Amino acid sequence: MASDGSDGTPVLSQRLLLSVAEELKLPLLQIARQAEQGQLAGGTDLATIRATADSALRLLDNYSLGIRLALEPEAMAVESVSVSSVLYDAGQQLDSLAKSYGVGLELSIAGRYGPVLAHRQGLQAALVSLGAALIEALPAQAAAGTGSQLKLRLATHRSRYGIVAGLYADTKQVSNEALQHGRELQSRSRQPLMDLTHTSGAGIFVADTILKAMKLDLRASRHHRLYGLGTVLQPNRQLRLV
Amino acid sequence: MAKILLVEPDRLLAETYLKALAGDGHEVVAAAGAQAAISAADAARPDLVVLELQLVEHSGIEFLYEFRSYPEWQAIPVLVHTAVPPGEFEGSWQILGRELGIDIYLYKPRTSLARLLSDVRGQLPVPA
Repeated sequence: MASDGSDGTPVLSQRLLLSVAEELKLPLLQIARQAEQGQLAGGTDLATIRATADSALRLLDNYSLGIRLALEPEAMAVESVSVSSVLYDAGQQLDSLAKSYGVGLELSIAGRYGPVLAHRQGLQAALVSLGAALIEALPAQAAAGTGSQLKLRLATHRSRYGIVAGLYADTKQVSNEALQHGRELQSRSRQPLMDLTHTSGAGIFVADTILKAMKLDLRASRHHRLYGLGTVLQPNRQLRLV
Repeated sequence: MAKILLVEPDRLLAETYLKALAGDGHEVVAAAGAQAAISAADAARPDLVVLELQLVEHSGIEFLYEFRSYPEWQAIPVLVHTAVPPGEFEGSWQILGRELGIDIYLYKPRTSLARLLSDVRGQLPVPA
């Protein structure tokens, strides 16, 4: 975690907490207004309310996990993990939220890259957190003219640095510099990643925190003609020899 | 029937507000971003705009600058319905807002649908 605050509390965790608190207003507001609309007109869309509540719970869970991993890195069990299966499971978790936002999820896990060394739960939580944030932002990105299709692809590919796992869309590329600038603005600006999302971007920062705790980086990434965010994982070479 | 341009980036909230406004007898056109909102205003000629300030790429204030630059839209009431809390709005946003003709400011988390509908009704021109 970053430098200490005056009371010894890590500043970064306070800023992340602020960001998460701000972000949580959105699902709570959605639920409150959907319920009110149901009272006014009769008929409440319970499936959407459930997806919204689940999304809020997931953000809280992932936030807790990120903080726990950052505070107790020694407790993190690194194992041999299949990136394809992590992406598949992340896609399953994001499915109902994507449906309620009218976003199509695609899975691109055709390549066989072998296992990587990672903390499975952490990697999956980071991808889900990132995915939820991007799903919520995609319709607004499309309206801003930075993307034309409401599709999000969970994908893996090999790069010269390792095996990349990420989420991609038909949107404008967010640079690593913009991402770094967003990190610096986190909780100081209402929209630290304004080119990417209309919210506080907490889901992206939670993913960033989880990955950092795992000694991984969240970075700008490209997959075929799509742009997005992802992380580079190292292949588990030991297993390859067996 | 009044025409309302709803500028709301969140799809789920937009659907809910759209249903509520339509249920109150208004014709609603929704846009999720500043550019889309200008195009929608051009096509629909709204009687009132309900505007979130936090948008992707361009802010609601940038939208207002462009919107107000057209003479025919200078008198259209704009109701800001935003996640920007009062303490933050009361700074530079408010000054800019006054300059750009924001008629009402509503803090979204504390504004019920009933209050939104009532304020929308209150801002619409009375039919002759």
